[in-house]
Amino acid sequence: MKTYDTIIIGAGHNGLVAAAYLAKQGKKVLVLERRDIVGGQVVTESFGDDFTVDSLHAGGTLRPDIVKHLNLASHGLVVDSVRKPFISLQADSNHLVFDVDPAKTVESIKRYSEKDAANWIPFLDFMKKATQFIETANATIMPRLPKGFNLSEGMALAELGLDLRMMGGKDMMRIVRGIPMTADEFVDEWFESDVVKAAIASLGIHGLTLGVYGAGTGYTLMHNWSNRGGLSHVSVQGGIGKITEALASAVKSLGGEIRTGAEVERIQVDMYTCKGVVLKSGEEISAKNIISAADPKHTFLTLVGAMNLPPEFVWNVQSIKMRGSVAKVHLLTDGKHGIPDGTVVVAPSIKYLEQAYDAAKYHQISEKPYLEVTTSGNVVSIHFQFAAYALNSGVQELAPASATASRRTSELWNEKRNLVEKIAIDTLAEYFPNLKSSIVNRKSLTPLDLEQTYGLTEGDLNHGQIMLDQFMFMRPIPGWSNHKTPIDNLYLCGSGVHGGGGVSGTAGRNVMKVLK
Amino acid sequence: MTNNNYDAIIIGGGHNGLVAAAYLARAGKKVVVLERRHMVGGATITEEIIPGFKFTEFSYVVSLLRPEIIRDLKLPQHGLKILPLPSTFTPMDNGDYIAGWDDHDTTRREIYRHSPKDAEAYDEYGRRMARLAKAIKPILGMLPPDPTSLSPKDLMGLLKLGQFASTLTEKELYGLSKIMTQSAADMLEEWFETDALLGTKSASGIIGTFLGPRSPSTAYVLLHHYMGEIDGAFRAWGFAKGGTGGIAESIASSARAFGAEIRLNATVKQVIVKGGRAVGVALENGDEIYAKAVLSSADPFVTFLKLVDQKYLPDDLTHSIKKFRTRGSSGKVNIALSELPKFTALPDSNVLHRGAVSISPSIDYIERAYDDAKYGRFAKEPYVDMIFPSMIDPDMAPPGKHVMSCFVQYAPYDIEGGWDDTKREAFGEAVISTIERYAPNIRRAIIGKQVLTPLDIESISGITGGNIFHGELLLHQLFFMRPATKWSGFRTPIKGYYLAGSGAHPGGGIMGSPGKFAAELALKDGI
Repeated sequence: MKTYDTIIIGAGHNGLVAAAYLAKQGKKVLVLERRDIVGGQVVTESFGDDFTVDSLHAGGTLRPDIVKHLNLASHGLVVDSVRKPFISLQADSNHLVFDVDPAKTVESIKRYSEKDAANWIPFLDFMKKATQFIETANATIMPRLPKGFNLSEGMALAELGLDLRMMGGKDMMRIVRGIPMTADEFVDEWFESDVVKAAIASLGIHGLTLGVYGAGTGYTLMHNWSNRGGLSHVSVQGGIGKITEALASAVKSLGGEIRTGAEVERIQVDMYTCKGVVLKSGEEISAKNIISAADPKHTFLTLVGAMNLPPEFVWNVQSIKMRGSVAKVHLLTDGKHGIPDGTVVVAPSIKYLEQAYDAAKYHQISEKPYLEVTTSGNVVSIHFQFAAYALNSGVQELAPASATASRRTSELWNEKRNLVEKIAIDTLAEYFPNLKSSIVNRKSLTPLDLEQTYGLTEGDLNHGQIMLDQFMFMRPIPGWSNHKTPIDNLYLCGSGVHGGGGVSGTAGRNVMKVLK
Repeated sequence: MTNNNYDAIIIGGGHNGLVAAAYLARAGKKVVVLERRHMVGGATITEEIIPGFKFTEFSYVVSLLRPEIIRDLKLPQHGLKILPLPSTFTPMDNGDYIAGWDDHDTTRREIYRHSPKDAEAYDEYGRRMARLAKAIKPILGMLPPDPTSLSPKDLMGLLKLGQFASTLTEKELYGLSKIMTQSAADMLEEWFETDALLGTKSASGIIGTFLGPRSPSTAYVLLHHYMGEIDGAFRAWGFAKGGTGGIAESIASSARAFGAEIRLNATVKQVIVKGGRAVGVALENGDEIYAKAVLSSADPFVTFLKLVDQKYLPDDLTHSIKKFRTRGSSGKVNIALSELPKFTALPDSNVLHRGAVSISPSIDYIERAYDDAKYGRFAKEPYVDMIFPSMIDPDMAPPGKHVMSCFVQYAPYDIEGGWDDTKREAFGEAVISTIERYAPNIRRAIIGKQVLTPLDIESISGITGGNIFHGELLLHQLFFMRPATKWSGFRTPIKGYYLAGSGAHPGGGIMGSPGKFAAELALKDGI
């Protein structure tokens, strides 16, 4: 049986970042990936000739300091610094365009409101400060409160508080007030036009199962803005998968090992200490430390097992809200789809966005969904919200964890896959009449596919909803926000811990600071 | 006419205004309360709308009134008598019902009938909520510090807050963090599975807010209602003898006994500011009254935007108050009855009429009612919380007859097309047909009714938006952010002008704390 210093479960961006940093320290690391390719959510895949897509995320960037530390440029990572516009589609084809050039954005907003146009630049300045704060907050490991408080952890938190104060009272209060606000209230502080407000507020619900009237979506708006560095995505040359390819290459060149097609069945635990992992194949591998980049529910309930954990901890993990409601529809076209370049959204009004969410609330698929569309050559990729993972068949609800429930979920989703495609295409075709005739091939991913193919429990892209009661020191669960677990040498480094949610890689790097 | 003799003028004779007046008078100050209506009470009134039938027009139950206020102001001597509400009864769609009692064991047995698992969870749930409510209470009694200020006073406040936090166990601290941010539904679904139990409990999380039980941060509103205290006993709800108007009357009587003057039909038009100081008020009738200080128990919108000239206020305060969420979401239907409604779920018993009856069969039922409201319609099938004051206090109705007080959510202030008589009538009808499903005799028992929309609540009581809390209990409208950051301390940018109503910390409900805090600060400032 082989022994490693550290086994990392999952070769998504966070797992690979953690592996690269450890390998750089000279540790003997092994990354285990259940799929045949690395990348996790940050992956570019081919579904046929000329049909290569960024499966789940249209864009994203690792934190620049990670790119530098790991020398990712030498591993082929080129960050496309050319940001494209963010376009909110309008029925009259007179779309609202948030251009890279703020002056042009101001012109476009003017059509809707002079006052809003005048507020755009001050809003950008404010969001810059909010971004700075969120980045600092994400880089700070959230300590346990308050008894397990050790001085070094406390210092980091005090510095964070100081950072916030340095911004000056007014901006600090605005950020603090903005966190519990709804996305609707957040944009309402600055803008009056419904069209302008809805376009920006859509960022507050992107990837989340909440509507723009949901408290805390003010925070997610800032969170997503901070991840993107603005409204629109920053795309990666050659596809987003280049990020994880470069990371994997870095891991290997630093002496780390990566095995694909190696699904971990369970983590071997004895008396709150883990010894190693057992693969689906039956192979056992031991290590001093194990870091899981999988989501907390999968990590604790499936890989560790409830009987190896304290009951209250299990109860809290079971209560983590996953609730995925994102589906992806990828279309291969003949190129005549007519969709402009950039991040294009169907978010015509605040009410429209809220109504789209109502479907998810009642476990249904939205008939008038919020869409975010990106194009890459002939390929059109549609991010579809909301399509509830736990679809309601009209039959009495069962606990989602039960085997019967998951069988029912797959039956339902096999029936409804075409429906999601149809709604997505019909909705978009209203703005782009040539779209339908341009389609050559299609590939859609339902929330169930997100779970089965990408290992995301309940199809939740964020490994746990980013909600007020699941963020900062309450992420993934209260008392365990510092990457540690009740199992002595088991750590978390995925999006489910503080710093996660997005492609920044922060969670993968932060785990280094607490590792024994 | 001018009158220069007062130490303090209190705008508004609601319960907070009266509490402020009583505390100031008790300290020997010469005070006058100016009330625009013909009676004191504000939203805490009892009125004989139909001859012989006394309606608790707006607020109808009490539990948050602070015991120290009851003691300090000797309210029992002035007629305050709170009678306990022993039960909550929720009829279910399958013809059964679920009830909660003021006794834990009886409730537990009742829950067990529906779900042994829920009964077991109920024990621990009760303990945990009581612990959290006790843990948060000191915060409600604390003057919120300004975290952006580096003044010694605020730093001391922050330090106190830190000290308080360090007295909590880790579990309590996380419990509080969670409850401040969660949705009522998410919190309750961690514990219970019985729909009607979940529905009824989640309803406490939405009262007075324009949010559904699945909206994050409603768990706090639930806790806010859990903190009720009568005679020191946690979470007991009560009904005041004579209706909630009886509470206002007793505070008014106490204030008068301490020497305060109360003027009715005296509408304040504007606060007079001289040299950056509030020196008095001008009335609608042209009178001017002068005093060393002015305390407004009106809501923040009225206090800052209507009663004073904007030029005295910093722009960001004006901006915050304009954005302060004060959307009315509830209405009241008060009904005079020839006989008690007979609930199909328990036809032969009148025991449930001594407590509250709640139409809340499930969380989704209430959530759908909210969906109606968020798109500008009143709920076709609303959440209704009703009590029968005449069963508790026979003086409320003629012998053999009854009054019924129905709190109804949701009815949006900003209804599509605006409120009119037709819509008010339709709203009342929706409430009656909702009750009729569970108590078929209700329609024939109606002698008369009063339907109050949020617009009516606004026009009668003067509360902007008809929001019963003077501003929703949303996270960013609490503690040091209530009603606005930097101005959460009851003082305002105008010297000698104080906010003393529910729009200030710690918020709405018949609590009296804002009035007490404001009076104490005014005294401290040496008026």
